[in-house]
Amino acid sequence: MKELLNEILMEDKTLIHFPFGNGFFDIYKSVVISWVVIAFVFIFILIMTSNLKVHNISKRQAAVEAFVLWIRGVTGGMLGEEGERYVDYIATVLIFIACSNMVGLFGLTPPTMDLTVTIALSIMSIVLVEAAGIHKKGPKKWIKGFAEPMAVIAPMNILELVIRPLSLCMRLFGNILGATVIMELIKFVIPVIFPAFLSLYFDIFDGCIQAYVFVFLTSLYIKEAVE
Amino acid sequence: MLTTSIVNIACTIFNLLILYFLFKKFLFGRVDKVLMQRREEVETATKAADEMTKSAIATKKDYEKKIEKVDEEKEQILADIKKQGYDEYDRIINEAKRRGEQILVEARHNAEVENERAKEVYAAQLTDMVVDAASKIAATKHSKEDDMELYEKFISEAGANNE
Repeated sequence: MKELLNEILMEDKTLIHFPFGNGFFDIYKSVVISWVVIAFVFIFILIMTSNLKVHNISKRQAAVEAFVLWIRGVTGGMLGEEGERYVDYIATVLIFIACSNMVGLFGLTPPTMDLTVTIALSIMSIVLVEAAGIHKKGPKKWIKGFAEPMAVIAPMNILELVIRPLSLCMRLFGNILGATVIMELIKFVIPVIFPAFLSLYFDIFDGCIQAYVFVFLTSLYIKEAVE
Repeated sequence: MLTTSIVNIACTIFNLLILYFLFKKFLFGRVDKVLMQRREEVETATKAADEMTKSAIATKKDYEKKIEKVDEEKEQILADIKKQGYDEYDRIINEAKRRGEQILVEARHNAEVENERAKEVYAAQLTDMVVDAASKIAATKHSKEDDMELYEKFISEAGANNE
């Protein structure tokens, strides 16, 4: 058990090692896998959105349009009218996390299982949340906003700047890591057939749920910031 | 998995931004373009249809007005024609009356002239007869009986002529 955890948690994740900088510039496996995910998604999008027409649309185009409208509906519903300009970014994050969580199906380690990726995602989220607040209210009002509804809870509000991204990144990281650990344990107990079904659950269903939770909370924060 | 590095975090953020850009340009941008074009087309078509409807309604009103006017015109024309007809009728009747009276007057005049002429003829005949009788009387030897007979004859002839 401890060995397993050690194996998973303490694994050397450096994939591309640069001979200079004493390992500072080393590129992790998760980043490379994100590149793969991005490349795959990009090619898929290029194929799907090639030759779009206004009339006599193909089934492929109908599917693309329906998907875009659907994902905008989902993220727009979470963001509300005020945060409509952030719909595209939220949709991008949703698709990226969902795809990242699903690479386990192809035998790769999900990038979201690496703390580095989830930290980056949550930093982006909190920057976007605060940027949305500043954009909406202006810098003065935004700073004043920390003392609302009363000045006493200003420290709490400032702490939230750290707590929110921390909870976002740890939730995503913990869930994906947990799923992987459970899968490893189950593989120890029942090595055939049974893990396949559970793998479907953890990789597809849980992956999508976690992606949704992440963007849902980010959207909630943005909605709160722009109100 | 617990270790992390700033370079990798920066790389991931960079990845995300690239992905966002790609999505924005190739997925949302392309689809939006098509959707926008379609919406514009629909709006243009709707506007054109609205304008057509408006012009059709205007034309309809115009024609209704015209039809109303046509009815009025028809009445007017009918009235005019009737009046003209009556006028013509009056004129013809009057003309006929006038002509009739003229004919009557002419006829009367003619009759008078004829009468006059007949009288003249009659008078001429009478004169002839008288002359004839007188010459006959003068030519023949006559007795009292002869005179009587002549006288009778003259009277009867004159009577026959005068009838």
